[in-house]
Amino acid sequence: MLGTYFYHEVLRKTVVAFGTLFNDIHIQHEDRQGGVISDTKVPLAYGPRSKFLAKIRQQQELAKAVAITLPRMSFEMTGLEYDSSRKTSVTRTFKAVDDGDNVKKVFLPVPYNVRFELNILCKLNEDALQIVEQILPFFQPSFNVTIDLIDSIGEKRDIPVVLENISFTDEYEGDFSTRRVLTYTLNFTAKTYLFGPIAESTDGLIRKVQIDYYADTDRQTAKREMRYTVTPDPSNADPEDDFGFNEVTEMFGDAKTYSPTRQQDV
Amino acid sequence: MPLNPFFLHGSPDEQRLVQSLIDEHLQMFGQEIHYIPRKLITTDDVLGEVQSSKFNDNFAMEAYLNNYEGYAKGSDIMTKFGINLQNELTLTISRERYEDLIAPFIFNSTNLQGAEDGDVVFSTRPKEGDLIWFPLGERLFEIKHVEFENPFYQLGKNYIYELQCELFRLEDEIIDTNIPAIDERLSEEGYITTVTVAGIGSTSTAVVDGFALTGALQEVFVNDDGYGYTSAPIVTVSRSPAGVTSALGAVVAFTTSIGNLQAVDFVAIGNPGFAYTEPPSFTFGGPGAGAAATASLTNSGITSIRITQPGFNYASPPTITIQHPSEVGIGTTGAVVGIKTGQVQATARGVLQGDVLKNILILNAGSGYEGTPTVTISGPLNAGVGTYFGNERVVGSISGTEGYVKKWDLTNRKLQISINTGAFLPGEFITGTASSARYQVFSYSDTDTAPYADDYFSNDEIEAEADDLLDFSETNPFGTF
Repeated sequence: MLGTYFYHEVLRKTVVAFGTLFNDIHIQHEDRQGGVISDTKVPLAYGPRSKFLAKIRQQQELAKAVAITLPRMSFEMTGLEYDSSRKTSVTRTFKAVDDGDNVKKVFLPVPYNVRFELNILCKLNEDALQIVEQILPFFQPSFNVTIDLIDSIGEKRDIPVVLENISFTDEYEGDFSTRRVLTYTLNFTAKTYLFGPIAESTDGLIRKVQIDYYADTDRQTAKREMRYTVTPDPSNADPEDDFGFNEVTEMFGDAKTYSPTRQQDV
Repeated sequence: MPLNPFFLHGSPDEQRLVQSLIDEHLQMFGQEIHYIPRKLITTDDVLGEVQSSKFNDNFAMEAYLNNYEGYAKGSDIMTKFGINLQNELTLTISRERYEDLIAPFIFNSTNLQGAEDGDVVFSTRPKEGDLIWFPLGERLFEIKHVEFENPFYQLGKNYIYELQCELFRLEDEIIDTNIPAIDERLSEEGYITTVTVAGIGSTSTAVVDGFALTGALQEVFVNDDGYGYTSAPIVTVSRSPAGVTSALGAVVAFTTSIGNLQAVDFVAIGNPGFAYTEPPSFTFGGPGAGAAATASLTNSGITSIRITQPGFNYASPPTITIQHPSEVGIGTTGAVVGIKTGQVQATARGVLQGDVLKNILILNAGSGYEGTPTVTISGPLNAGVGTYFGNERVVGSISGTEGYVKKWDLTNRKLQISINTGAFLPGEFITGTASSARYQVFSYSDTDTAPYADDYFSNDEIEAEADDLLDFSETNPFGTF
């Protein structure tokens, strides 16, 4: 029943859009005179990954000289849930035009909340504070990104990314056999939309409207006597264009009637 | 006297003997390690952290590998942040050897508060935070705890230090030991940026193809620079009365931005057209609005510049100089007429595609040309000289940015730099403070593009994918990548 293949990569796009918010954060260290002695772009990656790939890429030499390079940030999708507060009618559709002239029929999307977790691992508390302070002011508590969710119909949606909560751990207590671990965790919700299959509409773009007038209501015997035709001006105008109309009114006395199947007067 | 004076708990001679036996044992069965003391650059006394350190000394000494249980199965951990190695080991070093051979050389100030840049906090004992280069596996360990009472006061004295170590977590520490094996190994660690320096280039050449068409565009004046031009708009020029395609002028708009405002900067001429009896009108396309321009016409300006050699290795558009009309020779004799009233020198601007000159656009077609002027194009970047040393500090001539050399690859003209103070600018010179090597920057990448780069650095990949699906109609508040 559900077997119509489609994949709009909406969730993947939401992941990428979320990641791009945090991929250009820097931290700086200063000397005692206040001069900058290092400016580091904080690395960011999607946390979950194939274990073997992580191993062969990050540990090409089995015996690495150091444990890890810090600071780092990672993010991951942690959950999906239906958002009933944004629910719309399940049967409503809207029409959109693809790259060409074809009309697509799309059911209204289903609102879903995507939970994200952004983790920050730092060696120094000062580094973590620098990173967090560059993020928090932009979320009040949400920040909108406009994502081209369905490229084929140009469906751009504003997706609010809401900062839900922040927590951090600083494990500095205990004996000296354990190392200090300083981790910040920021939880976000991205309010995205999931689209179902996009069908070719049986309708085309309406480029001509034709109305025939009859002098009698008996359609068996009556013949059309006047025709009113409207076409867009220019005739190749696209829906988004600012176009006008050509209106033509014709009078007939040839006792013919219009055949929609043959698309001519017979 | 509470103790029996006829029984000793270790005489100085006995203690000396034990210490000698331990030293000898360590030298026979130990490993040759390098003790690398930490020097402090900046400390945060409120948060209680050392923000910047450097390690530029080293002392070879013997150490007994007491315990390597920290190398057990499961010491490599997959975390949210990639692979984290958690190898640990315990080393035993001689107290006397440390105090005799290392402490005197690293003695400096005696407390953290008074320490100056690059000072050692104290030197009387091995310190937590100092580094140990361990030869088996060529790894860098950080001392996390110094145990000094185990074994407990044999013959009334302690003879060894037991160093509990864990693999070092690297940030932006300067590690320059002058030991090639260590420095070479660490040249592949840390966050590394890449500067591509200029190679030997080739200068472009061009010629003026035509001049003195009646009613051609001379210069386009932007009367209103508009707003919202996040990309260059397409500018349409009104038709020429001549009615042929070649008579239609063609112009190209360039945009500029200040803060979040984007506007048309100037309009350059691709084709001046001809036969205009009055200045044409200009229509600016999207994405912005409000831009407007007018133009002046000339009957004696240049009309076309053709690139004969595109050259290569340009980091920024070259300077293009067109002869002044008064300097142009005329006819077969080539005699220069000299200065006349109303002569205006033509100016032009180059457009690069990669490092190659792709196009030359006219900014001012000039006026008063009676012959074909010559075009002079400035040369590409300099090739540079010298060889950068590993770990030397390099400085950018314009940006003032500093960094430390990780690797220098002359063949591919790549300079790997770490611990930068900022970004290096294309066109500026990078000079090594020790080697005096000097090369011109062609491009700079602040993402980890080294061949041995940490796979965890996905900032670039995320940005590339997001460019296709994100709509930052205004600007990205988190900064432009």
